[in-house]
Amino acid sequence: MNVLYGLHQPDEGEVLLRGESVRIGSPREAIGLRIGMVHQHFMLIGVMTVAENVVLVSEPRKGALLDRDAAERRVRELSERFGLVVDPRAHVEDIGVGQQQRVEILRVLHRGADVLILDEPTAVLTAQETAELFKVLRALTAEGVSIVFISHKLREVLEIADRVTVLRRGKKVGTVDAEGATEASLAKLMVGRDVLFRLEKDTSKVAGPILEVGALDVDDDRGLPAVRGLSLQVRAGEIVGLAGVDGNGQSELVEAITGLRVPRAGHVRVGGRDITGTGVRGALRAGVGHIAEDRHRRGLILDFSLAENLALREYRRAPLSRLGLLSPKRMTQQAHPLLERYDVRGGRPETPAGSLSGGNQQKCVIARELAEEPQVTVAAQPTRGLDVGAIEFVHRRLLEQRDAGRAVLLVSLELEEIRALADRVLVIYDGRIVAELSPAATDEEMGVAMLGGGRAPA
Amino acid sequence: MSTPGLSGGGEGPGTLTVASRLSGYLRGGGILIPVLTALIAFAVGGLVVLATGSNPIDTYKAVFDGSGLNWFFPWISSDDRSLAALNLQQTLLLTTPLILVGLAVAFAFRAGLFNIGGQGQYIVGSIGAVWIGSSFDGMPALAHIVLAIVAACVFGGVWAGIAGFLKATTGANEVISTIMLNYTALWAGVYLFGLGGPLQSSDPAQRSIPVSNDVLESARLPVFWGDPELQGLHIGLFVALVVTVLFWVLLNRSVTGYEVRAVGFNPDAAEYGGIHAGRSYVKVMVICGAFAGLAGALDVLGWQFRVATNDIQVSQVGFFGIAVALLGRNTAGGTVIAALLFGALISGTSVRNLDPSVFEPQLATNLTYIIQGLVVLFVSAPVLVTSVWGLRRRLGFGRARGAQAG
Amino acid sequence: MSAGSDVAGTTAAGTGGDGGSRLRARLARVPRAAWLGWAGVALGLLAFYVVLPPLLIRSMAPSFVLAAGGLGLGVAALRAGEKRVGWGAVVACIAGAAGAYGAVSSGVGNLERVVVWSALLAAALRYATPLTFAALGGVTSERAGVVNIGLEGMMLTGAFFGAWGADVTSSWVGGIVIGLAAGGVMGLVHAIFAVTLRADQIVSGTAINFLALGITGYLYVKIYGDQGTPDDLPEIPDVQLPIGWIPFLGDALEQLNLMVWLGLLCVAALSIFLFRTPQGLRMRSVGENPLAADTAGISPIRVRYRAVIVSGALAAMGGVFLSIGFVHSFSQNMTLGKGFIGLAAVIFGKWKPGGALAAAVLFGFASALAQRLPVFSPTTATLFQALPYVLTLIAVAGLVGRSRAPAADGVPYERW
Repeated sequence: MNVLYGLHQPDEGEVLLRGESVRIGSPREAIGLRIGMVHQHFMLIGVMTVAENVVLVSEPRKGALLDRDAAERRVRELSERFGLVVDPRAHVEDIGVGQQQRVEILRVLHRGADVLILDEPTAVLTAQETAELFKVLRALTAEGVSIVFISHKLREVLEIADRVTVLRRGKKVGTVDAEGATEASLAKLMVGRDVLFRLEKDTSKVAGPILEVGALDVDDDRGLPAVRGLSLQVRAGEIVGLAGVDGNGQSELVEAITGLRVPRAGHVRVGGRDITGTGVRGALRAGVGHIAEDRHRRGLILDFSLAENLALREYRRAPLSRLGLLSPKRMTQQAHPLLERYDVRGGRPETPAGSLSGGNQQKCVIARELAEEPQVTVAAQPTRGLDVGAIEFVHRRLLEQRDAGRAVLLVSLELEEIRALADRVLVIYDGRIVAELSPAATDEEMGVAMLGGGRAPA
Repeated sequence: MSTPGLSGGGEGPGTLTVASRLSGYLRGGGILIPVLTALIAFAVGGLVVLATGSNPIDTYKAVFDGSGLNWFFPWISSDDRSLAALNLQQTLLLTTPLILVGLAVAFAFRAGLFNIGGQGQYIVGSIGAVWIGSSFDGMPALAHIVLAIVAACVFGGVWAGIAGFLKATTGANEVISTIMLNYTALWAGVYLFGLGGPLQSSDPAQRSIPVSNDVLESARLPVFWGDPELQGLHIGLFVALVVTVLFWVLLNRSVTGYEVRAVGFNPDAAEYGGIHAGRSYVKVMVICGAFAGLAGALDVLGWQFRVATNDIQVSQVGFFGIAVALLGRNTAGGTVIAALLFGALISGTSVRNLDPSVFEPQLATNLTYIIQGLVVLFVSAPVLVTSVWGLRRRLGFGRARGAQAG
Repeated sequence: MSAGSDVAGTTAAGTGGDGGSRLRARLARVPRAAWLGWAGVALGLLAFYVVLPPLLIRSMAPSFVLAAGGLGLGVAALRAGEKRVGWGAVVACIAGAAGAYGAVSSGVGNLERVVVWSALLAAALRYATPLTFAALGGVTSERAGVVNIGLEGMMLTGAFFGAWGADVTSSWVGGIVIGLAAGGVMGLVHAIFAVTLRADQIVSGTAINFLALGITGYLYVKIYGDQGTPDDLPEIPDVQLPIGWIPFLGDALEQLNLMVWLGLLCVAALSIFLFRTPQGLRMRSVGENPLAADTAGISPIRVRYRAVIVSGALAAMGGVFLSIGFVHSFSQNMTLGKGFIGLAAVIFGKWKPGGALAAAVLFGFASALAQRLPVFSPTTATLFQALPYVLTLIAVAGLVGRSRAPAADGVPYERW
């Protein structure tokens, strides 16, 4: 979509617009071609009013000045015509997300777009707002506007679309008419069956619960509830897979368990010990390992050496430091066996972490977390961006933890990964656990649960 | 009600902190980049000299002689040697505070902070030193000196700590707050030592001179080279060098240094490791303030022996410290060498030392500022210097960025 | 489906379409407790005012009562949750009482000499003008998202080239033109480094300051050597207004330098440009969210270049006034930190030209007082010089409302 909007240039292939091949070099050109895009992360200026945002770059003028009244009139006019209700005078940062989206659409319409691309538009909307959006979209198509509606919410896609094209990993899987399709058939196309190296898994010898999360309420950065009254358990000797579409509260849950975020209510217990609100150090002391979902942001300090990164959890304690003084020699000593055992290639303990490949960086993170044999390991997207070999390695290590009688909570967007590793699968949706399935459950069952359907947990 | 997606700038590989932005400059090329930067700055300076009708080679040679660095070279005659010795003492006198103020800036950079407040912290430190140094008549020398130095470090640390505290609690940008504190310190100093000010000299002969009391004999630093009457070199140089080692140990061998560097490179990952960014900021600024305050103390107790409002207003030492730190790549050794370079430049172009027949000293002082500006300018965009010689790929810049992106 | 029926979270924007009703709307949003706080501030200021000419009440009693009342209001505001205004009132009352004490203990003669309000206002405007120009430069640059620490250097550049230009062309107009151009060149340098080379903007701004110091000093010594700038340097003329008959303002505004009026004009012009023209809207969008602006079809690079060059020119204007409008000569490093005060005014004025002007006049007032206070006590005069910086420190710490810069300020832009 970024290609269509001129934000990226294609390496191959061509774009045909109204029958002609076009090259779109910049957003300005795209706008000139009457293509409009509503991004997933809104391109709005919070401190400006709705009207200002809408008319930006095609401002109505009164002489040399901006004609504010004309701008507001235009906004009201478009609002009336397409049913996009919003106050032109309001400041964008003060209005709700649903209304902001309307502003985005108005902006695009004001420029005369007749091809409209919407990227995950309902990701931030409530059901009510979604219904209103659909009314608008239908009004638009009635006027001849073409709409590309990007979404992974299958129910909605079926509701609004005429035709559905499924993409996976950058390739088109198929195009079907919405008429005959069902959620299940779409889910199958979407989820598919990738060939991933399947590891041999012993039957699990499960003991008592190590990680216990009870009625957890966690707010996200905006102050809105991301995790609602969530409870789960991970027992010794098992891997629990947490499946779900991105943005349903997984990140906040992980942060709450690992001490990076303070929950508003509920508790987190590890090995019987309550670690709610004790911060990172508290979680660390209780034996929580955390393979962060963003190894560049949270997992590693790219400018630090491998040895320094490996010491990130332990640096305060002997033998790495005594009386406030660090011993790099000992850090290096400790690093060597770790690097070897976890097959980290591409550098020595002194090498800056940033010069390693993604796979080796992740191995480094895993080395740091798993070497301490944490009671429970929270692994969030542990194989994101890794090649097959590295993926296999990570999976093997996680299984090792499980076979040694420890607990693993695997949070992943890749269903295949969850199937391969988990003993139990929990599905998270909208901050709650909505289903508990066996890894052998069908694609349809999993897909449907992940998208909001499914039965309540046992 | 705040909303998603309205942050400026969209999505990228994450906020790059000051430290990580400068780290490419730090890591790549070892000593090559700073040397190159300095050379290019000098070359451009030479062009300026040429453009205004003088010979750059002769000019730089005169500056070199004026700095006394020729003392190190064996091909010099013995008469010139004693002159060179005097000049070198001057150079080293100037190098001492530059090292410390440079460290004050460098430490902050490594921790992800911009300490432009070296000047203010220096002033405050000198206030503390002159106040203690001119009081307590009859104190034994060692105790007196130590007390004065401690006072200076505490004053400087507190002064810088204000900025750190504001940043930690209110998120106030430390660039603005340190600049404001600079001028506040300046006027506080002018007030204190001005006519009728609380710390103005109590000597009736100096009633109409805005200057402080003189530092007592017991608080003056011993001179180890040269004549004390003629501003010989005092032991402050060794103090500065020892502190440099301390800086290195603190940064590279201590738990605090590890934490501070972690926050400087990646506050998110540091948080993940349980390190509190706000506390780090305060710690760092206090330490930096202590360094700069120490510089003030050494100057006051070593050769100035009094503080006049005029001195406070013309002093530029804190600002040179920024150039010193940047040229020295924010490392211990680099800072010392860069401090020596700038010390040589400043003293070599001073009225005392520069041969006016070759080049007018006033012009030369401004030339120094130009060179300083060029150095800082080129450091701000290291890509400029390195691409000049196509060094980017060779030094792994491209690789590092590629790894960071994926 | 009618517009406006189900809109949630609307501001109380009313239905009028003119500025007056917008003001009314804004005033309507101020909570009651805040009014208490503002009243407290007013009382504090009044406490100080009554002991000064022309009222010259020679006893502390009324001031005391006023200050106490204001203090009470301030505390009330604090308890009602209005922290900023509440603390403002407390500070104003304490300061007002202290000032009143100082004034009452001073001789009437001294007071009458110093506190000549009209002369003070005129002086304040004069002192404020270089600050205003620098602040306008700061606003321009930062509204486009580029931090400009180099205002000081750009101002100094303007000061020198203004003087030299006036000398060379024997006219003050030539001085202004050349000074502007020089400032623009400095701005261009900053733009190249900050925008294209994506350098650290603080570092490159600091470099500009050093460079300006060196270049202007170098050229000054080279060209003017020992004698300094000529005594007959063309001066920017004063503007004589025949309004002497108006009681207070007349005396104050009767004879002010052309640049003072130009400065006020520029404030108005920049204000209109930023908030009422399409180009201003686009520039602000670049400063808030360059990616959004880019996707809307604006070129953040071009906008930023233009903004930074203009900011250099504006700051230089301040310097030009300083050299050929105020002091009538040039000396090395003559700006002495005024560029930074200008930056302070930007922050204090919340990145609005009008606010920056108000801050600049406030700081100018402090300078004007500092000029006259030596009559009382030279030492407190010096402390007044530190006032602008302390005030800015407080502003930056967020104690005077949210001090929020344009969101993308200081962040080099690259498209992913």
